[in-house]
Order: sequence, then C-alpha cells, then structure tokens
Amino acid sequence: MSEVLTGAERKLDADDGGGGARGAGLVRFLLGKLGGALLSLAMVVVLGFLLFRMIPGDPVVTMTKGRPVSAEQLAELRERLGVDKPMWQQFIDYILGLFRGDLGTSYIFQRPVADLILERLWPTLLLVGVATALAIMLGLWFGIRAAWRRGSGFDKLSTGTALTLWSMPQFWMGLLLLIAFSGAFPSGGMRYPDTPPDFLSQSLDVAYHLVLPCLTLTAALYAQYLLVMRSSLLEEMNSEYLTTARAKGLRDDLVRRRHAVPNALLPTVTLVFLQFGMVLNGAVAVETVFSWPGLGLLTYEALSGPDLPVLQSTFLVLAAAVIFMNVLAELLYRILDPRVRAT
Amino acid sequence: MTEVAERQDEPTEASSSPVLLELRDLSVRYLAAREELPAVRGVNLRLGAGETLGLAGESGCGKSTLAMSVLRLLPRTATISGEVLLDGEDVNTMRWGRLRTVRWASASVVFQGAMHALNPVRKIYDQIAEPIQLHHGSQVDQTELRRRVLELIDQVELPASKAEAYPHELSGGQKQRVMIAMALACEPRLVIADEPTTALDVIVQAQVLALMSRLVAERGIGLIMISHDLSVLAATCANIAVMYRGEMVEFGPSARLLEQPEHEHSQALAAAFPTIGDPAARFKPATSTPLPEPEPDRCVGEPVLRTENLRVDFRDRGGATVRAVRDVDLAVAENEIVALVGQSGSGKTTLARTLLGLQQPDSGRVYFRDTEIPSSARGLRGYRRQVQLILQDPASALNPRHSAYEAVAEGLRIHGLTDDEPGRVARALEAAELRPAERFMSALPHELSGGQKQRVVIAGALALDPTVVVADEPVASLDASVRGEILALLLRLRIELGLSALVITHDLGLAWNIADRVAVMYQGELVEVGTVEEVLLNPQHEYTRSLLAAVPGGTYRSGPNGECAH
Repeated sequence: MSEVLTGAERKLDADDGGGGARGAGLVRFLLGKLGGALLSLAMVVVLGFLLFRMIPGDPVVTMTKGRPVSAEQLAELRERLGVDKPMWQQFIDYILGLFRGDLGTSYIFQRPVADLILERLWPTLLLVGVATALAIMLGLWFGIRAAWRRGSGFDKLSTGTALTLWSMPQFWMGLLLLIAFSGAFPSGGMRYPDTPPDFLSQSLDVAYHLVLPCLTLTAALYAQYLLVMRSSLLEEMNSEYLTTARAKGLRDDLVRRRHAVPNALLPTVTLVFLQFGMVLNGAVAVETVFSWPGLGLLTYEALSGPDLPVLQSTFLVLAAAVIFMNVLAELLYRILDPRVRAT
Repeated sequence: MTEVAERQDEPTEASSSPVLLELRDLSVRYLAAREELPAVRGVNLRLGAGETLGLAGESGCGKSTLAMSVLRLLPRTATISGEVLLDGEDVNTMRWGRLRTVRWASASVVFQGAMHALNPVRKIYDQIAEPIQLHHGSQVDQTELRRRVLELIDQVELPASKAEAYPHELSGGQKQRVMIAMALACEPRLVIADEPTTALDVIVQAQVLALMSRLVAERGIGLIMISHDLSVLAATCANIAVMYRGEMVEFGPSARLLEQPEHEHSQALAAAFPTIGDPAARFKPATSTPLPEPEPDRCVGEPVLRTENLRVDFRDRGGATVRAVRDVDLAVAENEIVALVGQSGSGKTTLARTLLGLQQPDSGRVYFRDTEIPSSARGLRGYRRQVQLILQDPASALNPRHSAYEAVAEGLRIHGLTDDEPGRVARALEAAELRPAERFMSALPHELSGGQKQRVVIAGALALDPTVVVADEPVASLDASVRGEILALLLRLRIELGLSALVITHDLGLAWNIADRVAVMYQGELVEVGTVEEVLLNPQHEYTRSLLAAVPGGTYRSGPNGECAH
C-alpha cells in the first residue's frame, strides 16, 4: 500500500477525534431547551387568561345565586374581584401578580389560590406518580414479552386486554370499579377522619384510599406503553446487531435484555414523557369519580363557578408540568442515545 | 497482487490439513407463503484448518444462507437438511447450550453492514469485551479483559481511544475493523466474513482486506469470505466456490477461476467487473443485449454544464470551516459521459448537489449552456428539467406506494407537461428499456427487481427530455449482472439520444466501461482530469495511483507507457 493510503486513513482518524466542542454544545443545548420551555410557558399564561374569560357565565351572578342582592352590592363585588376593570388592566394585574407569586383569590373558596394549589398538588402527584410508574412497568414488561413472542397466545391476550382497557372511558371504568369494589375499598376521598394521627396509620389509610383510583388510571394508561414498546421492539428485532449478538453465543434473554431492549426503549421514553398531558387529563376524570382531593377535582369544582383565578392557575400548573416533562424527555433521550448526544 | 501469486504454490485442495468445516449434502429451504423456497441445494464442501475459501455469487444465490447455516443463525422459517460438521461435530444436532458455546469461540462472523451489525447504543469496548466475558467469563478479571480488548483494537490498527467511542462516531472502515477485532476476540478457528467490504470505497476496502488476510494468516485461522466480486475474493482467498441458484457450480483455485472461469455463470461474474486497461471492456459493459457500434469519429460538442472556481464550505460542530469543494472547474460536454471518481468524503456528492442547485456555492459559478444557473425557485425548476438526478439506491429513491407510472409521471406534472401523459410515461419507460411499458406501469417498487427499480428511476429522469443526467453511484447497490445492463443503458442513451452524463462513482471499472473522461477528486479538489485512457493508464497524480493500486487484484492492467501503480 502506498504512502498516500495510510495518510488518508490517518486523516480520517484525526477528523473523527474532533469532540472538543461537546461541552459547549451541551450548554447551548440546555439553554435552547430552557428558552423554548419559557416561551411555551409565556404563551400558556396568555392563552389561559383569555380562554377562561371566554367561558360564558358571570362569576358574580353565580356567586350570589339564590340570595337577594342589590345592584350596588353586585357592583361592589365586581370591584372587589377586579372584574369591572377593562380586560387589558386585568391582564396586567394578573401578570404582575404572577411575578409576586400571587395567583389571586378563589371566588368559591374565598382563599388565596396559591394555598389551594399547594394543598391539592401532592395528592395529584401521589396518584399520577404511582399510576404512571405502575403503568410503565406493566406496559414495558408486557410489551417486551409480547413482541419477543410475536403472534403467540401471550401476545394476543396481553395486547387485546390492553386495547380493551385503553378504549374504555376512564370515568366509566372508574364507576364500574367503584360499583364492584365499594365494599372492599373506600369509595372516595383520601383518608377517613377518624384515623389516628400517627404517620404509619395515616400512610396506610391513604394507600387504602389510593387503590381504586390508582387502578383505574393504571389500567387506562399502560396500554399505550405496551403498544409502543411492542412495536418498537418488533422493529429492532430484525436488526443485524441482534444476529451479531446471537452469533456471539448469547442466551436468548441476554440478547433481548442487553441488545434489543435498550434500543427499543428510545422511542418509548419519548412517548412516556410526551403522553404526560394525557395522564393529567385522565387524572381529572379519575379524581372526580373518586372525589380524590387533587388538582383535577379542584379544576372540576372551579368550573362550576366559573372560578377564574383557580381555573387559570390549575391550567397554568398542569401546562407547566407537561412542558417540564418535555424538557426532561429531551434531556433523558440525550443520555440514553449516544447518537443524539453527538448532534 | 503478489499475495495471489504466492498462494498459487500452496495446496489448493483440502488435503494435508485436518478438516475444520465440512458440509455434506447441505440443503436449506425457506417457508414463505405456504410454499418452500430452496435457498441452498445439496452443497458439499470441505475446508481445512487455516485455509481460505471465497464464496461468490449474486444476491439470492444462497451464499449468505450457506454461511449462516454454519452457526445455525438462520431464521425460524428455514428448514435444514444434510450435515454441517464443525470440527467433526454436526451443528444441526447440537443442543442449544452446546451451540452457544461453539458460537464465536469456534467460529465467528464478520457481518456485512458493519453499520448495522454493531449495537448503536453500546461502546466499542463493551461490544468487543462481551464475547470474551461470555466464553471465558470466570477466568478473566477486569484488568486482563481490558488488556485483551485494547490489544485487539491495536491489532486492527485502531487507536486505543476508539474503545470508548460509539459506533456512529466511527467511519465505515473503522466499524469494519471493530467487527474484525470482535471476530478475533475468542481466538476462533474459523472466521466467516459476509460481504465485509461491500459498503466501503476502494481504498478502505483494500486496507480492510489486507488487514483481514494478514490477521487470519498469522493466526492460522480458516476463512470463508462471501462476496459478489470475484476480484475481492481472489485478493484474499486461495480457492473460490461459485454459487448459482443454491447450487455450487464451480470450485477452483482463485487465480484460475478469475482468469478462466468455466461455468457460464462464473464467466458472467468475472466479466461484470472489467479489467481496467483491457481494450475488450472499453465502451463494452457486460450486457446480454447488443450495444450499438461505437462511432469511430464521434465529436464531443460544446460544454453544456460547467463550473468555474466553484467552492462550497460547511461548518462543523465546533464551528470550524470545512472546505468540501475547493475551486473546482469541471465541464460536461454534449454527447459525453464524465466519471467523477474519489473516495467517500472527497466532496463528490457536494459537487453534484451544487450542480443541481440543491446546494448554494460559497463562491464560483455553475453555467448551463453559457448562462449561470438561476437561484430563484422558479428559475431552478426550469433548469432542473434540463439536468436530472439519478440516485444511488433505487429502493429508497422510489416511493414504495407509488406505481412505476406515478413515479415517472410525477416529474411531468411538476413541470406542467400534462399533454399526453400516458404516452410520455410509456416512451420514458421504453427508453429505459422496460418493454413493453404497459407491463410495468402499474407495478409497485416491491414487485420489481433491483435493476428494474433503477430503470424506473432512470425513466423518471428521461421523461423530461433532459440534456444532462447526474448519476450518483448508479450501480453501487445493484447485483453484478445488473450492473452491466444499467451501464449499457447509460451508454446507449448517450449514443442514441446524445444524452450527456456526469457519473459519480468510486468504481474505476465503471469509468473504464462507459466514460469518456475521468475527473479525480481528492479532499475537495480535482487533482486530475483527462480522458479515461490518459488518467487510468498513465496516472499523474499520486492519489490517482493509489486509487488504482487499491483496485482489488487482477482487475487493473496498467498502460503500455505507465509504470505499474503498485
């Protein structure tokens, strides 16, 4: 081989080694993602404000329904709530309030919205967190096995069951479970009032109350994880690197665990995070059916007002959660897939 | 080339050395849609320890199936009969546990597309270490393992830093080196290399082949190498077996098979890749349909497509400027085929994209018949009717849901040529030698063979009556026999319709087959431009010489006045 050949190969080596800018790339990537997230959040604030002012119904009339009130009292109430001001003035007040952490006062509960949200946040986090974790575990476990034994009885049964559960409306499934198990499990709320105040008893009581809503949400959610995991694993199963792994003498389950699943997980991870909005959507229905005192129930209650400060705040919190999850998905994808890291 | 000469003296029939692999009446059938398709029919073969054997044949001839049956890596739909004796033990009757022990430890595989055969999310180190841990798990501690993996990486001439790299961070040749390191990890007695260099360009191919031959010879490992290219096999293997439709039709020493193939199909394989410098192959690609006589006093017309000081820069991740095309002056004249050759990364494709107006040049100009090509969308549309593109891989260039008719008619519709659409489509299909056109109009891509697909792509270009076609590796993804037919088509279009072509390729034999002039591109620059005879028989630039030296053994014969390039 002549000198030029080896020279060309050296050149290639040198070209490939150019990864010095990777650290700077990460910072730029992070800033870009955060900037995008903040922009989305700003749009959500504007949209939320406008959206809930388009809902028909005068909050002042709703609040005073059934009571004899004079026109002066109504006007005074309007002034107190700030709804007599022009729209742009209300918007500016709202934005300034946001920066001070003041989300306004609930019309219905007559309390600061920020307090209400903080109080209702953790039951929702508990319900959604446990249900999502369970759904992911179930979905991935069944999805991986269904794909690996494609067309088998196991595949047909697990995929069929998941699809059936998925296609049921969540409130309806909740009601069915409620009817079936109302004797064995509490039918609503988060704890009994007479539970002893120590931590263990309280925890057990909450867990006991959690069973039915959590089951409903998990059943509704795990199907999509199963289906995506199954189809992305099926796609990977024809890959040549799996033949390489088999040729190396790996056992079937090692081929699956070490080689097929890590690659098939990539699209699934994106979905898990992107579908977070749907999870919250389901939480509203489930919390309402089981009177679970979370943000979903709060939203439902506020709609009857309409309790504008509460509505636009829960809207903001839920939207922020979805945006946050999206940013997280992109970061995680970067960790899981070395090819994304490079670009 | 000298290697081949030396090997002729060695024993070429399995005799003296102990038998490493023996196939006895091996047949493999695939069950597909309720019928059994035979892939391998009654093959008998013996390979002694340390011997090298090439398996040649076109895609679908059963050569890969045969190789995969050695480690029982065939899909579930395959039924195997006959015996595969590896070190005297029948692979087909082994229990799973025994089979897993034999895999990689006794025989390993270098797979075809190193790009896909490596796990994209695992580091090179882990992938090479995996079989060692698996087969010698208990005896190897971490430091010993690390030493061994780094040694393997060193043996395939990769820097140790690549151990921490992921597959996508390596070039094609480097990935194939990793595959070789992996194959040697457990010190097997047999290595099966399935088209190990198909996706690589000539120079890298030569390096990988040389490396593999050296490592296999040093260790006395038996090698079975699969390829559709006889010259590649001749450069590495002592014997060659030619397969055709599942049967072994010819077996013999490499040099003899390359020079005097006996079976009709071996002859076709040998003819598919021309010997550069052989007057019999000049303007005569291997085809079954007769070519028009080359005109003796052909006049090449005015330049139709021309670049002037063309320069294209890219920015890489770090923000540094990469000069992809540097000050290129290139012209394609009427009634002329120009071959643009160079290895991957030389800027060939960027140059082609710029010619088509798909990439804005940073400086310099592209002229079409003395007018600079427009940059507005509307102007470019008119221009692109004159200059059409033919892509490398017809399978991905065609929309799988569009029939051949739709594929050809789309261009007509874009350019508003809506009168007599069926007639225009039929004429284009016929011009691309899909006759009768009616038979192919409703065909979807998956119903067509590779060569027919490429003809549909060409028909799509011809439908617009272009002046020039730019073809990017038009035969690189096609079978050996189809290759000749497609090249003959391009040549016929030039002779009969006066269609000019710029053919981008790393295949110097293609240039010898059909081109009038050759332009050699190296690191963005045209280092040598001239007639095919001038450049290929009497290369001036060192890079051209190294390209010619990398052409696998036996397919380059230097010119009368040119020194031997290697």
